[in-house]
Amino acid sequence: MAGFLKNVMRNRVMLLMVLPGAAWFFFFSYMPLVGTIAAFKEYRFSRDGFWQSLINSENVGWRNFEFLFSTDAAYIITRNTLLYNIAFILIGLVFAVAMAITLSEIVNKRLAKVYQTGMFLPYFLSWVIVGYFVFSFLSMDKGLLNSILSQFGVSSIQWYNEPQYWPYILILVSLWKMVGYNSVVYLAAIMGIDRSLYEAAMIDGASKWQQIRNITIPLLKPIMIIMTLLAVGKIFYADFGLFYSVPRDSGTLYSVTNVIDTYVYRGLKTTGEIGMSTAAGLYQSVVGFVLVMISNYVVRRIDKDSALF
Amino acid sequence: MNKGKGRLALIAAMLAIVLVVGACGNNGGNESADGAEETAELIWYTIGTPQKDVTAVMDQVSAYTKEKINATVTMKMIDWGDYQQKMQVNVASGEPMDIIFTSAGGFDYVQNVRKGAFLQIDELLTEYGQGIVDTIDPGFLEGSKVDGHNYGIPANKELPQQEVWRFNQNLLDKYDLDIGKVRSLESLEPLMATIKANEPNVTVFGMDKNHVPYVPYDYLITNLPMAVKLDTDDYKIVNILETDEMKQALATMRKYYQAGYISPEAATVGSTSDLTLSGNWFVDRAQTQPLADNQWSATYGYPVVSTPASDAIITNTSVQGSIMAITANSEYPEKAMEFLNLLNTDPVLRNMVDSGIEGTHYEKIDDNRMRNLPEAKNYDMPSYSLGNNMLLNLNENDPDNKWDVFKEFNAEGVASPILGFNFDSANVSTQMAAIQNVKEQYWSALMTGTVDPDEYLPTALEAFKQAGMDEVITEAQAQLDEWVAEAK
Repeated sequence: MAGFLKNVMRNRVMLLMVLPGAAWFFFFSYMPLVGTIAAFKEYRFSRDGFWQSLINSENVGWRNFEFLFSTDAAYIITRNTLLYNIAFILIGLVFAVAMAITLSEIVNKRLAKVYQTGMFLPYFLSWVIVGYFVFSFLSMDKGLLNSILSQFGVSSIQWYNEPQYWPYILILVSLWKMVGYNSVVYLAAIMGIDRSLYEAAMIDGASKWQQIRNITIPLLKPIMIIMTLLAVGKIFYADFGLFYSVPRDSGTLYSVTNVIDTYVYRGLKTTGEIGMSTAAGLYQSVVGFVLVMISNYVVRRIDKDSALF
Repeated sequence: MNKGKGRLALIAAMLAIVLVVGACGNNGGNESADGAEETAELIWYTIGTPQKDVTAVMDQVSAYTKEKINATVTMKMIDWGDYQQKMQVNVASGEPMDIIFTSAGGFDYVQNVRKGAFLQIDELLTEYGQGIVDTIDPGFLEGSKVDGHNYGIPANKELPQQEVWRFNQNLLDKYDLDIGKVRSLESLEPLMATIKANEPNVTVFGMDKNHVPYVPYDYLITNLPMAVKLDTDDYKIVNILETDEMKQALATMRKYYQAGYISPEAATVGSTSDLTLSGNWFVDRAQTQPLADNQWSATYGYPVVSTPASDAIITNTSVQGSIMAITANSEYPEKAMEFLNLLNTDPVLRNMVDSGIEGTHYEKIDDNRMRNLPEAKNYDMPSYSLGNNMLLNLNENDPDNKWDVFKEFNAEGVASPILGFNFDSANVSTQMAAIQNVKEQYWSALMTGTVDPDEYLPTALEAFKQAGMDEVITEAQAQLDEWVAEAK
């Protein structure tokens, strides 16, 4: 006990800095865990508030989870959620790192800042607004793309009714929105790399490309692994706005745009069963947790120092 | 060392503060319990953009109600788009409240009755709500019963719902078109053809993704395909997509879509307000109420005329368009009922709640007519959600007999065969979630003619079947049969 207190004393400044974050996690991540019970209840209001409602609601076992797996849709939404997220993680990683390296190599620092800000900006737009941007390109009778196509004598495409284009559109739009933000982390890491390494390489006659391949990328690897592991934990969470607002909730596109989050929203928006939505959230968290554990285990086997824990 | 201890104490104190702040959200508002003389402080949640002068007006209202029934009122407004979600949270967390707005659309009435959000008010209504029973159209109280009990007071307004075709009169006049023979979907064709030929830039048939061709059926749940025919005698529930009427309507919609009458975006647009604002449309379908043509014309700034597309039918949805319920956790259920009784019978109170303070927000021009003052923009309330509409003062341009016309319209309404039957989907909630998803996938594209029904309808029906449509219909049919047997 004394040792513990002494430890606290010695690290008090650090602990103080951690405190706001710890409090945030306690209130918004740990306390709500109790509510997970609702996933196994048919939630009904009680006049004595939330806790009484939770306690008094009828236990229904796993019934709240059934709707996620009851039809063909289960396969489609799981496939879409996983494949899109894998694509976002991999392509996003490549583009973010490439972008960060390019930005760091631009000699004119002022210009580099302009590019960086320009690419950062889409991150702050809400998906609803991005959805309208996309609509101005893809609108069937007034859209930019269809007007260009008609200039070339190609008949216009019913973008919002033809699923085959949408995997590409969604990945493109997601990249456009997220790359600027993700590249910042890598850019910061590059800035932290010891300049003398590059100087030594240059003296040895290494080209730009060799420097990048043999210095920058190996030194970025730990960050890349951490970022990817964190992203894997969210692989079962789809970005609702991207899959709902950007395709304008068009039914004919569902085969390629329906993901877990939109499925849950559409299924429960009229009945509003709290138990079933909690069940969906719990399912996503558990799968995410398992995936993080597995991928961390794999990373640890390959390279112990790069693993998260 | 001493300094270090001080810091630790500080950390502990901060933690303690955070914990206390976090925990104290739950109590509060519990002061009164005993003493019948104590003034009841009613908390009233309602829908609409929060208004600047709500507190000022509610002070006036409270002064009035304190004198009449010894109760004061605090009104909390929640904006249109947030209402559903915020009320879910407020009710689920047991936030103190007494009266809340609910309807078939926002914070669903029947679903929340089933979840136990509202107090059952059968006895309260007989004891403290006699004025309501005597004043509002009995169809409302009958139609808003759930499983045989009342859980809320519907606003007295138009009772049935009737679909109409609305026309842009400028275009009717320009091409000298006659709407006298229009009634069915098919009967629109010659008119639409004329406009299409002469006005290439006009959207001939305006609609958004929620458009559903009218067929003479009443839906168990709005926008889900389970329905009962209006002139039924066997109370059979069918999938609307399997009926001949809907099949024919879908074929017609497809024909109109291919003829270019319908916008190619129809299946994905959420509203047609850009069309109505610009006047760039010819016909659309809307739900009417008495004097609606005048109102539409005034709002859009150009003349709009309408002609019926259906009979006036009293359905669950039309009856449950605006309800004020007493919450299950209300501190003062009796006072809340007394207040609702007063609100629905006392013109002074009702107009104060609706228009604000006389002389500040509005002025009287004669006994029952008023005119808004510039300050009215700080207290601009949606009338339909605040109780008995027929007590309201008339606006400057309203005809003298406005409320008589409403009463006539209400008297002409025909009750749907399933008026008062509310399907309880708790036993089939898994299937319902799947069906919702199937519906979202196929509905808009089919209903707007965007896709070919010959190809898509069989696929949609198959998907509904897979999602468990048959089980839902069997369950609903059992409930309906029981309800019919009880009613007879």
